[in-house]
Amino acid sequence: MNTISSIAMNTFVKETGGYVAAQLEACTRCGMCADACHFYVATGNPEYAPVWKIELLKRAYEQRFTLAGKVKLALGVDKAITDEEIQKFSKIVYEACTMCNKCSMVCPMGLQLGPLIHEVRTSMSNAGVVPDDLMKAVNKQVEEGSPLGVTDDVYDDRIEWVADEWEVDIPVDVKGADTLVVFSSIEVMKFPENIAAIAKILNTAGEKWTLSTSGREVVNFGFYEGNEELTKLFMQRVFDAAKELGVKKIVVTECGHAYDALRWTSYNMMEVPAGIEITHIVGLIGEYVRSGRIKLKAGAFDDGVITFHDACKIQRRGGHIKEPREILNILAPNSFKEMSPSKEQAICCGGGGGVIAIKEADPVRYAAFELKIDQMNAIGADAVVMSCSNCRLQFTDCVQHFNLNVKVKGLSQMVADALVEQEV
Amino acid sequence: MNWTAVLEFARGPFFKVALLVFIAGMAYRIARIIMLGWTKDRVPPRGSKVEGAAISFLKGILIWPFIPWVKDTFKRNPIIYIAGGLFHLGLFVVLILGTAHMLVWKSLLGFGWATLPLPIVDWLAAVAIVAMIVLFIHRLTNPVMRLISGWPEWLNLLFVFLPMVTGYMMTHHLFFRYEVLYSLHMLSVNIMLIWIPISRISHFVFYFFSKAIHGADFGKRSVSP
Repeated sequence: MNTISSIAMNTFVKETGGYVAAQLEACTRCGMCADACHFYVATGNPEYAPVWKIELLKRAYEQRFTLAGKVKLALGVDKAITDEEIQKFSKIVYEACTMCNKCSMVCPMGLQLGPLIHEVRTSMSNAGVVPDDLMKAVNKQVEEGSPLGVTDDVYDDRIEWVADEWEVDIPVDVKGADTLVVFSSIEVMKFPENIAAIAKILNTAGEKWTLSTSGREVVNFGFYEGNEELTKLFMQRVFDAAKELGVKKIVVTECGHAYDALRWTSYNMMEVPAGIEITHIVGLIGEYVRSGRIKLKAGAFDDGVITFHDACKIQRRGGHIKEPREILNILAPNSFKEMSPSKEQAICCGGGGGVIAIKEADPVRYAAFELKIDQMNAIGADAVVMSCSNCRLQFTDCVQHFNLNVKVKGLSQMVADALVEQEV
Repeated sequence: MNWTAVLEFARGPFFKVALLVFIAGMAYRIARIIMLGWTKDRVPPRGSKVEGAAISFLKGILIWPFIPWVKDTFKRNPIIYIAGGLFHLGLFVVLILGTAHMLVWKSLLGFGWATLPLPIVDWLAAVAIVAMIVLFIHRLTNPVMRLISGWPEWLNLLFVFLPMVTGYMMTHHLFFRYEVLYSLHMLSVNIMLIWIPISRISHFVFYFFSKAIHGADFGKRSVSP
């Protein structure tokens, strides 16, 4: 009895505590979540409705836990979940969902659909029904320490190169530092200027910080997959490094899913070393600006129309909504303009949750991005700023794909470029 | 057919049984959810969970759906938002602030309260019925709704619709003798009461769970739910 469906079924049952069950019971099947989902709105495919993405979880719950469900099963009104169904839904929950949780903002019952869909992914993961492309990246992270092939050697080379190229000090493996900064390999490989920028900001603020060669990857492809063991393994690498170096703080850089995993999930999954604060680089920069530890040149980017794209995991599910706005109001007081909707109601970029790693998801990923294009066009944006490398990957790719005349910027870089040198 | 006897049965023993099934069924379902086990949240919060939950309820009860345009997605489906809101508004007003229903509550609870004038209640009842028809058509025509609707969803609509229509006909003495309408009203109410614990109409209870979870999840991140 080790079929795909029985493994998935057992995971569903294991996951169903009060938190999941209470929400499944509350769902009225009103379908309003559909209009909140960028994948549904962009494609009109009813199977992309968030409520449909939790259909298997709901059926498993009913069949195992509720009288009505058991009666339905006995009468043949509902059927046992089949392997084919698991396979079909695997495509839906991995390729057409970034777990951005925008749907929970419109749900009249307030269902946390993002986390519930994550539970569905966990079942898929246990049953081994995960898109090949995503699985390849996961395996690469297990073996090489990074889904993008950033091995030990590559990492050392890249960091050394960044330090040379941008003439900035980057401390590595410094015992007794206060703060461990962990980059994502997207930054290491595709946005190295971001590393230089963050290094410059931290140095200017007089932060005693360090990188770690063992805890050097913040991206968590196990979390994308929904694989609990691997999610823990990848976070353990970071925690071990933090313990070894004796830091008081872990700073997650511009990666959204990683922040969700480390900051908001790890504590409930595993032992997080005591006395270590986990925060996001945007939160830290915000603190520096508020307390005056760094000073920014006012109006440094006051040109054209600049807007901010809220990342689902850093803003809506991370809470760092105010900091970027405070910063942009200094850097571009006249040019900064909000998209509509924005902040916690923002529309997702469409590339998060591992979607961008799956080649087969390209058509829906591009389709979903058209919503962002409409949003940017509506305010005539010349540049769009963000604080998540994954969003940035999606934006850079899509700007090219659609041949858009919009500049894609990282918030840290703008801050670094506007730093007012001061005596420390 | 002896409608007086039917009425006696429908508002007498059958109503009592239905009420008992409703109360016991709901108590069972709530107890089961509570006893399924709740893992302690060990994540250090950035904001207040309690505050988040409070805002979540306030927004849910006061703002949504009576001022539905606070939601961006409202623009895509305004009629459905308004219909959903008006249906619930009408339902609660009729059930609690209608004189006839208040008297039922009084006989059950032992105390009564001031009610709204009949014309207001009557209009809201009509609005609720129209809203239900709109929601029915939506469920019938929208591709997402068709996908997620099985027979329980259709029965939900039917079992709520019948008491509302028979109640409305009763107040206006439409088509049938009063006793017939009253009997039909009570029979349909009883069926609905028995149906609620095995269906999703029970959402009015789990609403408080899911809204609290939602608010706490956002509150601890210091994000407005």
